[in-house]
Amino acid sequence: MSKYPEYVHTKSREWFDRALNVIPSGIYGHLGPTEGLFLPLEKWPLLSSKAKGTYFWDMDGNKYLDLMCAYGPNVLGYGDPDVDRAAMEQMLSGNCTTAPSYKMVECAEMLVDTVACADWAFFMKNGTDATTFGILTARAATGRKKTLFLKGYYHGNQPWAMKADYPGILPEEVANNIIVPWFDLDALEKAWTESKGDIAALIAQPYDHGNFADNRVATKEYWAAVRKFCTKHGIVLIVDDVRAGFRLDLAGSDHFYGFEADIICFCKALANGYNMSAACGKESLRSAASSLSFTGSYWMSAVPFAACMACIDKMKALDTPKLFRETGKKITDGFQAAAKAHGFDLVVSGEPALFYLRIANDDSLMLHQEWVAECVSRGLFITSHHNHFINAAITDADIALAVDIADDAFSVVAENHPDLGFTK
Amino acid sequence: MIESKAMAYVNMFGVLGALENLCVMDKPAKKILAGLKKPVSLCFSVKGGPCATFHFTASGCRMAEGDESCTCKMVFPGPEAFNALIDKSKPGIPAKNPVQVLSFLMGPFTALTNRLTELLRPDEKALKDPAFFEESTILTMYTIAGAISALANTDPISRISAENTVDGEVQLGIANKVAVTIAVRDHHFTTIKAPSQNPRATMEFASVALAHDLFSGTAATMNEMCKGNIRLRGMISMVDNINRILDRVGKYLA
Repeated sequence: MSKYPEYVHTKSREWFDRALNVIPSGIYGHLGPTEGLFLPLEKWPLLSSKAKGTYFWDMDGNKYLDLMCAYGPNVLGYGDPDVDRAAMEQMLSGNCTTAPSYKMVECAEMLVDTVACADWAFFMKNGTDATTFGILTARAATGRKKTLFLKGYYHGNQPWAMKADYPGILPEEVANNIIVPWFDLDALEKAWTESKGDIAALIAQPYDHGNFADNRVATKEYWAAVRKFCTKHGIVLIVDDVRAGFRLDLAGSDHFYGFEADIICFCKALANGYNMSAACGKESLRSAASSLSFTGSYWMSAVPFAACMACIDKMKALDTPKLFRETGKKITDGFQAAAKAHGFDLVVSGEPALFYLRIANDDSLMLHQEWVAECVSRGLFITSHHNHFINAAITDADIALAVDIADDAFSVVAENHPDLGFTK
Repeated sequence: MIESKAMAYVNMFGVLGALENLCVMDKPAKKILAGLKKPVSLCFSVKGGPCATFHFTASGCRMAEGDESCTCKMVFPGPEAFNALIDKSKPGIPAKNPVQVLSFLMGPFTALTNRLTELLRPDEKALKDPAFFEESTILTMYTIAGAISALANTDPISRISAENTVDGEVQLGIANKVAVTIAVRDHHFTTIKAPSQNPRATMEFASVALAHDLFSGTAATMNEMCKGNIRLRGMISMVDNINRILDRVGKYLA
C-alpha cells in the first residue's frame, strides 16, 4: 500500500478545460502536457495557484516539491525575499520608462564583473532572444552565412534554430545550418572544409544535455580543442548557457570547462523568475553587436535588472554552484539507493546540478514514465525526458521527502508489474 | 512541396497498399474477388520509383515489394506516369502478359480501386452509416500507416524526421479497434499492419470518431493530446518524429 495517497486534480482539470477553450493547446510549450510529457495526463497538476520556496500548489491545493523549478528560472526559491524586495523597490521608482533606468548600466557592470569572458552585456527577454542575438552578431562580424550546431541541439524557437521538418519552418530558413555530432573534432574540420570557409558561428550548450537520452558531460580537453578550432578559422564561438548558466559556475559554464566563449547567452537563472535574458561578449564583437537592429518593448525594463542584481549577489553569497552540485548528488544518491532497493536500475547522468534520470530496465522509457507519474501524483514534481533543476531553498528535509516519495513510487510501480520481479 | 517520387511511393504503399486491408474488411470487395477465376499477380514497376506486386486470389490480396512471381506487369516511365494511374486512371505500358494486365486492370482492379476510393474519399451521406464510417476510418488509418513509411524513406523533409528517429517499433492504434506498427531500423521505416509485440512507443486514439476527425483535419492533434484523447507512452521522441511525418502525409494525401 502506498504511503503517499495519490492527488486528485478536479479543479486543475476544470481550469485547464477553460484554458483549452481560449488558448491553443491550453498550455503550450514546455510547461504544458504535450511538450512537458504529462503521461498520463490525469496524474499531473496542470495549473498552479501559488508557489513558495521549493514548492508550488495546484488548483486543488495539492503541494508539490518542485525539482523542475519552472524549467530553470527558480534558482533561489520561489518568492525569494531578497530578490522580491529589490524588485518591489524598483517598481516604486519606475520600470518601463522612455529613458532606461540606470539600473541597466549597473546590471551590465555586474555581469561584466561576474562573467569571465564578458567585456559587455546586452539585454533582452528570453533565451531565444539571446541566442538569436548571438547568431546575428556572428554573421555581422564575419560576413559569413553558415552556423555549426551539435546534434540534439535546442537553441530556442526562432526559425534559424529549428529544423526543416518542424511545422511552419521553411527549408530555406535552415539551409545554412550544419549539424555535427558532439565530441567529434574531425567532423568540425570536415564541415569547415565542405563549407569552403563560410561558417560564421558554432553554437553549443556547455555539455550535451539533450532530452530523451542520458546527458553527456564535456571535458576541458574537448572544449580547448573546439576553442582552438574556432579561433583558427575565425568562427564565433557562442555558448548557449540559457539552461546551465549560473548553475555550474557563476563566471559562466565556459569558465567551468576551462575556456572562453566569444558570446555567452543567459536567461533562466539570471533573475529568479523576473523576465530577462542577456548575452555577454568579447571586445572584438562589440562593434558588430552595436550594429544590429535588435530591440524590444520591454527589454530595458528596470525591475528585472534590480532582481537580477539581487539574485547574482545572493548566488555569490550562497556559492550556489557548489550548493547545487552537493544537493544534486544527495538527491540522486537517494533516488538510486531507493531504486536499487526495489530492483530498478536508475541511471543518473549529466552534471549533478542539472541531473538527468532514466530507468534502464527497459529501453522504451515506459517504466520510467510510470515511475515519474507516480512521483508527481504523490507530490514530487520531476520529469521523464528532460534534465532537472535545483534551487537554493531546498533543505535536507526536502531532500529526504523527495527520496521518500521516490521510494514510495518505486514500490507502486513494482506492485503494478508483479511479473517483472521488482521488490515492493 | 510535393515530390513526384515520394508521391509514387505513397500511392504504391499507402493508397494501393490499402487494397490488402480492403479485401479483408469489405464485403463488396470480397464479392469482387470471389468472381476471380484464377489468381492474378499484378506488378506495377515505376522507373526511378517503387516496384510492387499485388497478389490477388479469390480470398484476398497481398502486396510484396518487387516483381517476383508476378503473372502480369505494367511499367511506368517515371513517378509522374504512375501517379497519373492513381489520379487520372491513366494506365502504364503492359510489359508482361498484356492480355491479363488489361482485362484485370479494366475489370476487377478498377472495381476494387473504385471501392477503395469510395471509402478513402467518402461523401458525407455515406459516413452517416456507422459501419461505413468505421470501415472508412480504419482503412484510412492503414493508408496513412503505409504512407508514413513511404515518406520517411523518400520525402526529403520527412527524411530529416527519419534521421532523428531511433531504432524500435512504434505502435499506432485506435483503442479496441486496430493497431499498426511502424518499425524503424537505421532510420529506415517499415509499416507492419499488425500490433507490435514489443513497442518502444505507442500512440492510441480514444475512438474511431476521434481518429476520423484527426484524419479529416477537423480535430487538432495537440488539442486532443491535451484533452487526454490521444494516449502516448514510451520513447516519445519517436512519436514526435512520426507526427512530423504525419503532417507531410496530410499534404501528400490531400
